[in-house]
Amino acid sequence: MSNLAVLPIIIPLIAGIIVALFNSKVPITRILTKILSIISLAVVSYISWLVFTEGAIILETGGWIAPYGIVLVADPLATLLVLTTNIVAVACAFFAPHALTLKQEQHYFYAFYFFLISGVSGAFLTGDLFNLFVFFEVLLMASYALIVLGGDKVQLRESIKYVLINLFSSILFVTAVAFIYGAVGTVNMAQIAERVSEVDQDGILTTIAILLFFVFATKAALFPLYYWMPKSYIVPNPVVSALFAALLTKVGIYSILRVFSLIFVHEMELTHQFFLWIAGLSMVFGVIGALSTNNIKLIIAYNIIPAIGFIIMGIGVLNEDALSGSIYYLIHDMIIKTVLFLIVSVVAYVAGTSDLRKMGGLIHYYPILGWLLFISAFVLAGIPPFSGFIGKFLLLKGALAANEIAIVLVALLSSLLILYSVMKIFIRGFWGEKDESGKYKMKSTKGFIAPIVFLLLFSIFLGIGAEFIYPSIESISSYLLDPQLYIDSVLKE
Amino acid sequence: MEIIIAILSGVLMTTGVYNLLQKQLLRIVIGTVLLSHGAHLFILTMGKLKTGQPPILHDGIENYTDPLPQALILTSIVISFGITSLLLVLAYRTARENNTDNMEKLRGTENE
Amino acid sequence: MLFAVLLPLLFAILVPMLSKWKHKIHTGIFVFFIPFLIFLYFIRFVGNDFTPVRQVYNWIPSLGINFDFYLDGLSLLFVLLISGIGSLVVFYSIYYLHVSERLGSFYVYLLMFMTAMLGVVLSDNLFVLYTFWELTSISSFLLIGYWHYRERSRYGAQKSMLITVFGGLSMLGGFILLTVITGTTSIQEMITQTDLILSSDYLPLIMGLILLGAFTKSAQFPFHIWLPDAMEAPTPVSAYLHSATMVKAGIFLVARFSPIFATYEWFFIIVSIVGIATLCWASYMAVRQTDLKGILAFSTISQLGMIMAMLGFGTKAAIFAAIFHILNHATFKGSLFMVAGIIDHETGTRDIRRLGGLLTVMPITATLAVFGTFSMAGIPLPFLNGFYSKEMFFEATLHLNEVVNPIANVIIPLIPYLAVFGSIFTFVYSMYFFFGVFTGPKQFDKLKIKPHEAPIGMLVSPIILVVGVVFIGLFPNSVNGTFLIHAAEAVNNAVEIKDIHFWHGWIPPLFMSLAVVGIGALLYLTREKWSNVYHVLPGKMSMNKVYDGLVKNVDTFSTRLTNTYMTGSLKTYMSIILGTIIFVTFIVMISTNGFNMEFNNLAEVTWIELAVVVIIIIAALATMFTTSKLGAILITGVVGYGVATLFVIYRAPDLALTQLVIETVSVALFLLCFYHLPKLEKRKESTGSKLNNMIISIGFGALMTLIAISAHSTEWFDPISDYFIETAYKLGGGHNVVNVILVDMRGLDTLFEIAVLGIAALAIFSLIKLRKDKEAE
Repeated sequence: MSNLAVLPIIIPLIAGIIVALFNSKVPITRILTKILSIISLAVVSYISWLVFTEGAIILETGGWIAPYGIVLVADPLATLLVLTTNIVAVACAFFAPHALTLKQEQHYFYAFYFFLISGVSGAFLTGDLFNLFVFFEVLLMASYALIVLGGDKVQLRESIKYVLINLFSSILFVTAVAFIYGAVGTVNMAQIAERVSEVDQDGILTTIAILLFFVFATKAALFPLYYWMPKSYIVPNPVVSALFAALLTKVGIYSILRVFSLIFVHEMELTHQFFLWIAGLSMVFGVIGALSTNNIKLIIAYNIIPAIGFIIMGIGVLNEDALSGSIYYLIHDMIIKTVLFLIVSVVAYVAGTSDLRKMGGLIHYYPILGWLLFISAFVLAGIPPFSGFIGKFLLLKGALAANEIAIVLVALLSSLLILYSVMKIFIRGFWGEKDESGKYKMKSTKGFIAPIVFLLLFSIFLGIGAEFIYPSIESISSYLLDPQLYIDSVLKE
Repeated sequence: MEIIIAILSGVLMTTGVYNLLQKQLLRIVIGTVLLSHGAHLFILTMGKLKTGQPPILHDGIENYTDPLPQALILTSIVISFGITSLLLVLAYRTARENNTDNMEKLRGTENE
Repeated sequence: MLFAVLLPLLFAILVPMLSKWKHKIHTGIFVFFIPFLIFLYFIRFVGNDFTPVRQVYNWIPSLGINFDFYLDGLSLLFVLLISGIGSLVVFYSIYYLHVSERLGSFYVYLLMFMTAMLGVVLSDNLFVLYTFWELTSISSFLLIGYWHYRERSRYGAQKSMLITVFGGLSMLGGFILLTVITGTTSIQEMITQTDLILSSDYLPLIMGLILLGAFTKSAQFPFHIWLPDAMEAPTPVSAYLHSATMVKAGIFLVARFSPIFATYEWFFIIVSIVGIATLCWASYMAVRQTDLKGILAFSTISQLGMIMAMLGFGTKAAIFAAIFHILNHATFKGSLFMVAGIIDHETGTRDIRRLGGLLTVMPITATLAVFGTFSMAGIPLPFLNGFYSKEMFFEATLHLNEVVNPIANVIIPLIPYLAVFGSIFTFVYSMYFFFGVFTGPKQFDKLKIKPHEAPIGMLVSPIILVVGVVFIGLFPNSVNGTFLIHAAEAVNNAVEIKDIHFWHGWIPPLFMSLAVVGIGALLYLTREKWSNVYHVLPGKMSMNKVYDGLVKNVDTFSTRLTNTYMTGSLKTYMSIILGTIIFVTFIVMISTNGFNMEFNNLAEVTWIELAVVVIIIIAALATMFTTSKLGAILITGVVGYGVATLFVIYRAPDLALTQLVIETVSVALFLLCFYHLPKLEKRKESTGSKLNNMIISIGFGALMTLIAISAHSTEWFDPISDYFIETAYKLGGGHNVVNVILVDMRGLDTLFEIAVLGIAALAIFSLIKLRKDKEAE
């Protein structure tokens, strides 16, 4: 037993309180944020190293043995996601001062930022279903605060929809937890898993499972529950959008991954087949959305949906290759979505508009930005040797091995359209005649580029250096495929 | 009685959702409040109702009601309160900034 | 070999630096040495006793993705084409591209392409092959869009990318299926498992997906449409990528997989039909073009179709002819593209209608063009290599394998006629190209530049290629045993080495050739009279229109579809979300037989409770109908206090207290916030909308109740709470179990519950502060 598992949650919480105290002195909060986010990343890296060399760290909080107290389970999957979260967070911490207005910084941006990280890490680490709800609320509350930051008309308008839909899904979540408690008499995930398997996932449990799926699917922005997402992701400050894209929907999909690989795995014919349908429809409708608009931020926001579709496809197939693919894709997507949101926000900033129809020839002024976008488009679409390919390759291989041909064809076609939707920005926005009117008078992109490059390098390494990473992912998925391992490590019976 | 409470919670949720589907902000917020009440009663029902004394330990009493749902509800009540407060302020600000409390007028168009 | 493949890419890193000195030394001079060195490296493998070489470098061994280079005869042929033509093209580009152009970008893309193409033809590993394959598409995209300030360039680049990446992705699907079936990622190992693949249920799918990749890349009908638009690229690029190398990647792929699919009848049928159709359609269309590069583009498409068809025939003779023609086509078409580039460069136009009579001013270019066009036309002269392979093609069409299949039975007798048909038009456009440019009336006054012969440096590369044309024509056997045999062997084991002769005697292929020349000449001379036929076919039909329509429709359709549901209306969103949840969950509940109800062990019903319940229900219902702001808020308060009363009844004192306090504060907050807001209105709604709301809300409430009853009725397990009651005092030190749980056992919940409140407070504070800030402004 080690207290280390709580650090990824506590450090950002304390950091948030500290920066909230220094709020009036913006230069100090900026530096503090950078330092604290790096400290957090360092600690998480150390924990990850421990977990990957010595196995999962289980923390029974307050010393109360599972399943009675709340357990934190830093297993490889959770740790990997926490690590990725922190990598993204560091990049955003360095990007933020350049993108935010002083007003926004003074309105506690940095504090909310840390609370968000804390909630997200907690959601990844907890082994208790009700506690998961609590962490969901932490991250949602932080996200509510972040989304209204600045308080434009448009922002308020979209925020209230965002808050209401998420509030509804939270209520549904707590109700579903109640039902689970009613049926199996516990809220500890390992014990739920054990008990569900003892009664062979009776019909009512499958019903509750689907209810729980919808709760997470709403957060994950899956078809047909994603309506709240695209527009509410483009109204806040770009850093906030990037954080949301990287983390919020991913917490939802992580929860589905956890719950439907650990607990509800006894009615695969029904639940997981259903996931494949959802996956296919998410891919189709996501890319259709991405193609429907000329707003570059909206293009990227819609692209979140097919990515989530890819991940859930692996959960639907649930064999080792497909699951590895899902996890790989999850990590990949957290990073590349942040990159893309940051890039398009800079593009919108230098072009003075988000409307693709009003841009052109940007590459003459901003070549580096253009090439970053170009590479990111291929990373996103899963063109080798970049990271998206490895995930997609594994997903498709797993799906084909399970004879799921149709979903593979949909996935391939949607990859093409994803590429098209993002390349459109490059072709129409960056290519073209040099604008001499001074419309794009040189705006400095100093400070924007470094965090983007930092993340993009990670992403490229995930692809080219797959040999270093894949074995860990493979061990995670084989671990997930045997729920008993998780149950035993938590309940120690 | 559990069944009656379950039905009551169902009714609360029904009215909650009905209000949620309205146009005016106040009704929508009230809808969320009703939904939370429904959820809390569901939790309460899931521990067996009234099978014993309040879970405050006294010598000689063997039979207590299930304390865990109560703890969960308490956490949930506090969280709901936090969100409701935020929602109220947000609703107020939104209505003020946009000069309407009608959600159907808050649709927004693309590319703004 | 890894180094040889990656050398161009590595060198590309230096190019931006070298291009800074471009005004002193043309960047192309440095770049030229790269393909040339690679050519020298690989040329030493050529010889009669060549045996395949394999070199493996690990990349991602745990996924079976490695740089597994396999140099056999087929790869060797392609590698030499890539590096050889590559050297000539780079050399040519030194004179073609002015230093004021963005030379750095140009050569970076070109070098990237070299690595990619070398990788494609050398990789034995499917996924490394795929990686390089997509890289060729990307570099081609960039090169086509090189002059991206032109609308046509952007259009062409996007089109080529969409079509070739589409093919690439479908090919990937086929590759993964193959890997799943055979358990290996190596093509050569798959060839040893041919029987397994041929007996798979997925065989048609695998072949279809892979062929889609090949057909799109090699511009086969109906995917050929991207190639003419790719002519927006600088001419050296057209000569290199879009004629000699990249477009042959599809041919290469089909050749590579021939050993696996050759005995599958549908392979023969599809590849032959597509190949022949492409040959005929493109050569027919080429005659209509007015742009020199347009003619050459369609010509390239048709020649690729011819090679594809021969691979489809699958007979030993056909495959040998296909290999031979790959080489020949690279020589004569490469030289012709360079000729077109020279004409463009020295006259300022590529429009054949404005050209004419250049023979006297550009004699060397004209000579080169004679050899190129006549070889392409397949005119029976002993010093033109095009004739040899063309005649072998005719020969092959006459000796096809027997295939028992109704469709095959129909097409086999037709193929020779179609082959002649396509070749006739090849003859016509070849003549049109040469005579249209170099003979006829001079109209120099219509040109921007006064035409003159090209500088010698620009002529070197096409001269070398034309020398190749003549050399192979005169001594065809010099490349036979050393080179072609090994390549053919790789496609179709054990090829008998036979000498290539010019004269075979009066046999059918010769008559076919003569027919081509005769009818072709006639058609060429009378072309004005029959050119109206193009108004009938293709007339208004064209694959281009299909493509444009598709791209446009995808955009408008997606916009329209998305706008129908992304209305921005919360009500719509909620209705869809709720509707889905209710519908799916009900179905799951029914199909899993999830409902159960148990009346034992229920608490008694008392009047007090019932009264409270009724009050709450009435209050809840009243919220739906009240039109007074104050009333609505107070009624909501009644519900809250009612719930608190229930908490009292159900032995939850802490809850009751908390609920009371919070309810009071909430009501106050409600009043504060909504005091200034507009009044509640009577709902003006259509009955349909009302009904919709009713159904959804009742459905949801009913669903939740049913699940609650079922969940509650299960009696499988005891809740874990007994432990809390046992240990609350002993270990937790408190009498109030709920409190002990909150602060100790589930302390983390409470900590973060407080955090939530804190964040909410901060958020509210920031919202209010915001308002003050705004008002201050």
